[in-house]
Amino acid sequence: MSAAAAAGALVEIDGVSKRYGDVVALDDVSASVTERAVGLLGANGAGKSTLMRSMLGLIRPDEGSISVMGMGIEHAWDIRRRLGYMPEHSSLPMGMTARDLVVHMGELRGLPRRVAVLRASEVLFQVGLEEERSRLIRTFSVGMRQRTNLAQAIVHSPAMVILDEPTNGLDPAGREEMLTLVRRLSADLGIAVIMSSHVLEDVVRTCDSVLVLRDGKIVATQRLAQADRVDNGEVQVQIIGDADAFATAAAALGLAVRPDGEWLLVRGDDADAVLRGVRDAAIASGAGLHELRPAGPTIEQSLIGAIG
Amino acid sequence: MSSEARLVDTAFTTYQGPRAGRLAAIWSLAHWSALRALGARRGWKAKVIPISLTLLAFAPALVVLGLRAILGSGSVSRSVANAVPYSDYISTIAIVVLVFSVVITPELVCPDRRDRTLSLYFSTAIGRLDYVLGKIAAALMPLLLVTLAPVLLLYVGTVLFSVHPVGYLQANWLDLPRIIVSSLIVATFYGLVGLAISSLTSRRAFAVGGYLAFLAISTVMGGVLSHALNARYFRLLAVAAAPIRAGQGLFPKYSDPGNISPVVWGSTVVEVCVVAVIVLAVRYGRDEG
Repeated sequence: MSAAAAAGALVEIDGVSKRYGDVVALDDVSASVTERAVGLLGANGAGKSTLMRSMLGLIRPDEGSISVMGMGIEHAWDIRRRLGYMPEHSSLPMGMTARDLVVHMGELRGLPRRVAVLRASEVLFQVGLEEERSRLIRTFSVGMRQRTNLAQAIVHSPAMVILDEPTNGLDPAGREEMLTLVRRLSADLGIAVIMSSHVLEDVVRTCDSVLVLRDGKIVATQRLAQADRVDNGEVQVQIIGDADAFATAAAALGLAVRPDGEWLLVRGDDADAVLRGVRDAAIASGAGLHELRPAGPTIEQSLIGAIG
Repeated sequence: MSSEARLVDTAFTTYQGPRAGRLAAIWSLAHWSALRALGARRGWKAKVIPISLTLLAFAPALVVLGLRAILGSGSVSRSVANAVPYSDYISTIAIVVLVFSVVITPELVCPDRRDRTLSLYFSTAIGRLDYVLGKIAAALMPLLLVTLAPVLLLYVGTVLFSVHPVGYLQANWLDLPRIIVSSLIVATFYGLVGLAISSLTSRRAFAVGGYLAFLAISTVMGGVLSHALNARYFRLLAVAAAPIRAGQGLFPKYSDPGNISPVVWGSTVVEVCVVAVIVLAVRYGRDEG
């Protein structure tokens, strides 16, 4: 087991590059996926699908290495047996029933026949297709096909599932259902999720952290659960009482203070120093703190900027 | 109720048991594909042609055994038994076997390309080689149903209807491996050629047309050229007959009507099968996709 796996990393990507002729699909990508739900965010062509297919061993990187659940992609067969994958484009056999497909995919990933039949019923129930399980897939709506696609990806009880643009082509109601299902995977069913999307809201609603890809490179990583703004070492404070006295006291503690409308912007060497300084300046000046928040851009603003 | 009791969502469980290996995945692909090609779990329209052709393939054996059951063990009955020798059974139903293979093999691979299911398969424990092996096995199973099963039925029935079953078995036991090998040659040939041609298109109709055209054109060319140039080896161009002639050559009393050695027919079978395997390797052998 690699050190990353020992440390709990689900996926460890180290210096991965992939070219198709003159097109650079992935350019020296390195990342460690430790969260239970991680979003890959980027515009079309940013390299999301290439990165996901590399994790599955479907694409061999030109350079670098990938480890999935402690296994290198030279063990792609074993990885694919333990992982679930939901492709971006519909690739379901139209002439099969949902139940037959899910049973078949379970068997292909190593489930004994009897277990595959039982689990097919369970996962089709989970995705809300228990009533339609005996219908041919060609009679399904796009939303039902996507849910069938999700069911086949989790039928074999994978530790992790890779979802490539799961909301693609869905109407608002179908998208809502799919996002709820995706969130359930990591939150309730104990399945780690790596989901790609070019829609920021989809990732924010379903994931714990996000990797932003642009032109084949990871240009930003961000945890999503902690705060709604990026911590850049600057805070906004709203003072009750003598704001000038607070500013003077803060300046005396080595902090840079400047007014911003009703707020004061306070900057220091690092986030902890700023927070300690604000506390001490408030005590020293006798001012009260009405509100205190990071002054960085919102996470949405930051990610949109990174996507470019 | 205990104070520690709690409600648990039992609708979704995790599976921690053993997982089957690669062979099981190939077998799963093969048996699901074969069943679907035969019309299982599909509408009656998909079942009609395979079932009809299968019944036609069994018809000579059923007629012979039925007549023997009616006629008893007299000399007429023995003549009936010799009406369709094991060596000639497949050539008797050759057109049925040909149509069956033309119907079945495109159904095994064309829908996967049309529906883009290949990417889904390759995201599981199925690799490209596994996929091809699974589809070859899927083609062999139904083809053996119309090549091996009827002849085996005829053999078993003949043993049971003979006056001295044990004596018949002792005298004719070598026919059993001959029946099996000749059926395997025919099933493998038509299976591989059908899969190779079908792998070139995602449209089932094009695959059926292409397969028929290949068989018809090669047969006509072989016949015309061998007659026009009076060169018997041009008959080898009629590749559709090659596996049947090669299989017949395994039986001692068989003589080829064109006076071509079964070994030559056999080498033609091998050459065509090698080309078919190369086509399949090219179509499914890319590393990525």
